[in-house]
Amino acid sequence: MTDTQPETEASVTIVVDGQEVAARPGELLIDACERAGTYIPRFCYHERMKPVGMCRMCLVEVDTGRGMGLQPSCMIPVAEGMTVDTQSEITKKAQDGILEFLLINHPLDCPVCDKGGECPLQDQTMAYGPGESRFVEEKRHYEKPIPISDTVFLDRERCILCDRCTRFAKEVAGDPLIHFQGRGNQTEVNTFPDEPFSSYFSGNTVQICPVGALTAKPYRFKARPWDLEETESTSVADAVGSRITVQSSRNQVLRYMGVDSDPVNWGWLSDKERFSFEAFNSDERITEPMARSGGDLEPVSWGAAIAAVGDALKNTDPSRLGIIGGARLTNESQFAFTKLAKGVLGTDNVDAQLGDGLPAELVLGLPRATIDQACAPGGTIILMGPDPKETLGALFLRLKHAAVEDGATIIEVTPHRTGLGQYAAHHLHPLPGETAALAAALVAETPALDTAGVSADAITAARAAIAGDGPVTVILGRASVAESAAVIADAALSLTSIPGVRFLSALSRSNVHGALDMGMSPGLLPGRSTLASGTANWPNTPSTAGMSTAQMLQAAADGSLDTILLLGADPISDFPDTDLAERALANATVIAVDLFETASTDHADAILPAAAPQEADGSFTNLEGRVTKISRKVTPPGTARPDWIIAAELAMAAGGDLGIESLDDVWAQIAAVSPAHAGIDTASLDANQRDGVVVEGTLDLPAASGVSPAVADAYAYRLVVSRRMYDAGTILANSPSSAHLASGTALHLHPVDFDALGLDRGAEVTVSSATGSVSLPVEPSGDVPRGVAAVPANQGDIVVGTLIAVGDVATNVRVERGDS
Amino acid sequence: MGYLQGFAVTFKKLTEDRVTTEYPEQKRPKADRLHGRHVLNRYEDGMEKCIGCELCAGVCPANCIYVRGKDNPDGDPVSPGERYGFIYEINYLRCIHCDMCVEACPTEAITESKLFEFSFTNRADAIYTKNELLVDDDGMPQHLPWEDWRPGEDEMTSGWMRATASSGNAAYEGKVAWSGELGYGVRAPEIGQSQDAPPADTSDSGAH
Ligand code: SF4
Ligand code: SF4
Ligand code: SF4
Ligand code: FES
Repeated sequence: MTDTQPETEASVTIVVDGQEVAARPGELLIDACERAGTYIPRFCYHERMKPVGMCRMCLVEVDTGRGMGLQPSCMIPVAEGMTVDTQSEITKKAQDGILEFLLINHPLDCPVCDKGGECPLQDQTMAYGPGESRFVEEKRHYEKPIPISDTVFLDRERCILCDRCTRFAKEVAGDPLIHFQGRGNQTEVNTFPDEPFSSYFSGNTVQICPVGALTAKPYRFKARPWDLEETESTSVADAVGSRITVQSSRNQVLRYMGVDSDPVNWGWLSDKERFSFEAFNSDERITEPMARSGGDLEPVSWGAAIAAVGDALKNTDPSRLGIIGGARLTNESQFAFTKLAKGVLGTDNVDAQLGDGLPAELVLGLPRATIDQACAPGGTIILMGPDPKETLGALFLRLKHAAVEDGATIIEVTPHRTGLGQYAAHHLHPLPGETAALAAALVAETPALDTAGVSADAITAARAAIAGDGPVTVILGRASVAESAAVIADAALSLTSIPGVRFLSALSRSNVHGALDMGMSPGLLPGRSTLASGTANWPNTPSTAGMSTAQMLQAAADGSLDTILLLGADPISDFPDTDLAERALANATVIAVDLFETASTDHADAILPAAAPQEADGSFTNLEGRVTKISRKVTPPGTARPDWIIAAELAMAAGGDLGIESLDDVWAQIAAVSPAHAGIDTASLDANQRDGVVVEGTLDLPAASGVSPAVADAYAYRLVVSRRMYDAGTILANSPSSAHLASGTALHLHPVDFDALGLDRGAEVTVSSATGSVSLPVEPSGDVPRGVAAVPANQGDIVVGTLIAVGDVATNVRVERGDS
Repeated sequence: MGYLQGFAVTFKKLTEDRVTTEYPEQKRPKADRLHGRHVLNRYEDGMEKCIGCELCAGVCPANCIYVRGKDNPDGDPVSPGERYGFIYEINYLRCIHCDMCVEACPTEAITESKLFEFSFTNRADAIYTKNELLVDDDGMPQHLPWEDWRPGEDEMTSGWMRATASSGNAAYEGKVAWSGELGYGVRAPEIGQSQDAPPADTSDSGAH
């Protein structure tokens, strides 16, 4: 259980093994003893879950008032004057006995068990257990590991029925898909028939299982604990910045484990974060520079590649040069590329967001919340952004905890119901394109009217929740790439009138927040400053703001932009308007700095291979603005090198000099231009490894744009295109155990709308917008409101991006039977 | 005259039995507990005993064993159970023939022969892989071209000592016992050093 009590609160005194110890009121005895340096063995207790007292391993003698008696220390809160004996003969006999019981049925196949060597059951049997067993009877037998999901195997023989995995699934993840079944000796953990444990968080159960009953496919039989080395780092799979340990053997990363960072992920990871290392190990990685000669990409030397790319950059008029992407990079590399673009090459056409984000001035201008502030007990959380369960897994777990355990009120302001919906108190689903109107109605003083498809009653109820005592936090992002960012920006600006409101950005793309802080956006300079206000005193810094990704792609398609540098970006897959991205890249000279070949690098004239996060030191800025360290664990494949080195060399080749030879140089330069990052350097990042440093500082807010959607006819649906956890993104596509998990593209309609079509589930329909038309299978979904057509983004099978015209406030589509 | 005494010693010795042998044409019997190059054993049905557990690699003081396990292929298992030794390598430039690996192995997959007469001309040859280490279909060590095997030598195997339960037989718990085995099955350990009598029931010691 989390301890939300402030340190300052009065403490109670307990006596542990004759020593007086100060404990926090309400704290569990097992925690109080551990903080005082007395470790009590345990299996079922986990400090981030409610105690259940299943395993009885934590029995200690406690003075009950009627003499000393055995009590499970994970179930009793401390009380003033409590006397505990963790070392008595009776305690030891009890612990010894519990282990003997647990081992009655345990198969002792430690040599083939992935947990062997790091197993709490092994360790505690050695430390507290009997040397021998008196049980000679045959052990119970089950079929050896059965897959309970695509990534998790269950070996029921090894299970000691501690209830950790099942509690995690139910209490923490909210996916109660595994459960105890049977009684007595036959009790087993299992899934329900025909329903796999397909939770986005299933990997956590493998980490917390105190035996080897649950194992993960990507790590299965890959190594033993004694040949792993580890280093603590930050996950870059999404923008939460969960802390992880990176474990490797023989220069190959074999697994990521969650690390309990109190302000961030509490030790949990989404499966996307946990298994993303597979992609970095992939054979598909680009290992050497390539240049196009005669139609094909051929390997070339670094020297030749840098010289050629440097020439191309130098010889392009800065106004006809653009840099797209950079969210994949570390802060240091982002700074280096910003300086290359804005300081050396003299172009401001730099955008780390691919048209699926929010205006940088807005994200940096709004008062920011930390995750802890958003999850404050009794607070109100307005979810106006993507489904956190799909895009920001670890944040979802924190938000769910806040709603279920800490009395936070969640107001969903999303185009359709999200994974957080079942924990939300209010469900407001504005029609796509009209979110700003609803936001204005939420903060208006006048009596509520039906707005944007939401009833006046629902608005009134949500207003009451917002006006409550607790702090209000808006989780802000783009729920749908088919709705313009301007709508969400206007909505956010309306909500700033709520007293004390704070915003937690839900942009999900890796280190996008670092990119914004490092100035990888038109008009910005490093340190949350603008071209006008910034202190970066670079020779060629342009004076006027450049183009966004959408504008750059449009310009390239029109022939007024010649060269595009892609920094780990794949606009063809990720930019909302697929068609525009295709035309733009086909028309321009494209240089890609990437880990993988993608749909976009097919258009590249040169590719420079970059090092993955686990292969280079650096730092990460999460959605709170928290800067934490990324640590190198293995060497990059082939001759791939860290992005900041590539930037520094390109600067040289283009006739400039970044003055960067080490990460310390980068931080010295950042400190010089960014007051917001004052005090951060490699040493302070090392010192604050776990929780990092939160960057402060805001920009002036942009003005509202006042957009409203095109009026559609009565037959039209509003399109919603939203991200799922599993899609055809480069990282997932190159992870063998996650690649097939993309759900596939289907159109989801409200059941009434679905029935009106008179089709079977899965039948093909034609969806057409002003810009294109695709045929898709159709499914009814209770999560989607009437008049809305919802499609997952980038599933790799059917391209829905052709329906979207960038810049449209909302996308109206028609849905017709058949594939005519 | 002193040198005549020297000749006397020489002539006397000429008539005595010689203690040197014409090695390598002639070899002397090897000691019971001599530790030579390893073999990876099989069960009688041809399945490999190694389960890829890396315990031998973990215990090796010379750090010369490299093992990686893998799931047994569906329908065509290499070893009984879930896991088999997918990669198994011993670097003989580093091995000190201490037999700790043999002692650590839970399945008696790795044992040592008494062969020490092997040499290499490059470093890569000194790393024995599963191809070299695995016993043949008769359970006997492979006779590699650069190894000097004489008839009958492959019958000999190194003895090893185990202070814990040998062959997984609880009757040996805590008893110091010798075991020697090569090829199929598991031989019952011999109580060698301690005063203990062999445990009464060792009949299931081959029950792997
Ligand atoms: S599978 Fe593991 S975590 Fe789940 S109940 Fe069994 S021992 Fe506990
Ligand atoms: S005999 Fe000793 S040194 Fe040689 S492989 Fe075995 S444990 Fe290592
Ligand atoms: S030889 Fe024995 S100890 Fe070594 S990996 Fe194989 S089974 Fe394990
Ligand atoms: S840890 Fe207390 S009963 Fe399991």
